[in-house]
Amino acid sequence: MEGDPPSLPPQMFTTSAQLLDLTDKKLLVALRDGRKLIGVLRSWDQYANLVLQSTIERLYVGDAYCDIPRGVFIVRGENVLLLGEIDLDREDDIPFRRASVEEVFAAQRATDTEKKRADKVHRKKLRALGFEDEGEVLV
Amino acid sequence: MSDADDSSPIQEPLDLVRLSLAEQVFVKLRGDRELRGRLHAYDSHCNLVLGDVEETIYVVGDDEEDDSIKTIKKQSEMLFVRGDSVVLISPQAQS
Amino acid sequence: MLFFSFFKTLVDHEVTVELKNDLSIRGTLKSVDQFLNIKLDDIMVLEEAKYPHLAAVRNVFIRGSVVRYVHLPSGAVDTALLEDATRREASNAAAAKGR
Repeated sequence: MEGDPPSLPPQMFTTSAQLLDLTDKKLLVALRDGRKLIGVLRSWDQYANLVLQSTIERLYVGDAYCDIPRGVFIVRGENVLLLGEIDLDREDDIPFRRASVEEVFAAQRATDTEKKRADKVHRKKLRALGFEDEGEVLV
Repeated sequence: MSDADDSSPIQEPLDLVRLSLAEQVFVKLRGDRELRGRLHAYDSHCNLVLGDVEETIYVVGDDEEDDSIKTIKKQSEMLFVRGDSVVLISPQAQS
Repeated sequence: MLFFSFFKTLVDHEVTVELKNDLSIRGTLKSVDQFLNIKLDDIMVLEEAKYPHLAAVRNVFIRGSVVRYVHLPSGAVDTALLEDATRREASNAAAAKGR
């Protein structure tokens, strides 16, 4: 980021300009493996490699969620699905129940096992039809 | 080759796609999907823009014994398709 | 550069970006870059119940590599112009190869 002018006009069509707007803000980062991180974006480059500070990982299952404190993250760009700017006025009125990490873990394990089994069957059947999956991009 | 008309010789695979510009094409994608539509744009990554598209999605159940296949059809008036999902592009004869 | 330029002409239009994980996000196209990373404003998530983490998010940066489709407003696309630009790009690519 060094060397970039402090503020580029919003219509600069570069990765830098797009990410500059999000710098030092509290962001939701969705990763390709399905993880959701919430943290403050402190640094980045043109590949969307990111540095997140005060990061928590948030897990959702059913009507519950839990947060796990994680600290500083350096995320490799290719694993990033999207970055979302969290609306601080709206972040607290989500219709979810905060649960303990243990409860969410247990519930998630059950869901994951079933999902893996179903995915395997899907892939096998569709491969027989001559289709190929899109690579590892999960919800 | 300054003249970019459709009579330019076919020398590489994407030249065949060029001949399909403004024509109906069939596109097979990764992730159990197929598209039929009019090709309006493409580039060397096989990024595409298709018009009046019909998307067909193949869906199978998660029961190992049950081999039935369902298809879902979706319409889109104008669609950008990212090239890395594209498996093949085939010109469709006008019916 | 064809699609980069193309998307720039669609700035401020409503589009729906469909990701490879089936998540569909509708919003106003605010910006695009050379990798076709996309920024959307005032987003609305289809099947919102499935993606609770986006409930408090108003604008997103989507990495180009995870995009499957972008549904476009056909009224905003001049197809004849687009086809011409595509032919031009194809012949430029051929010329660059030295034939």
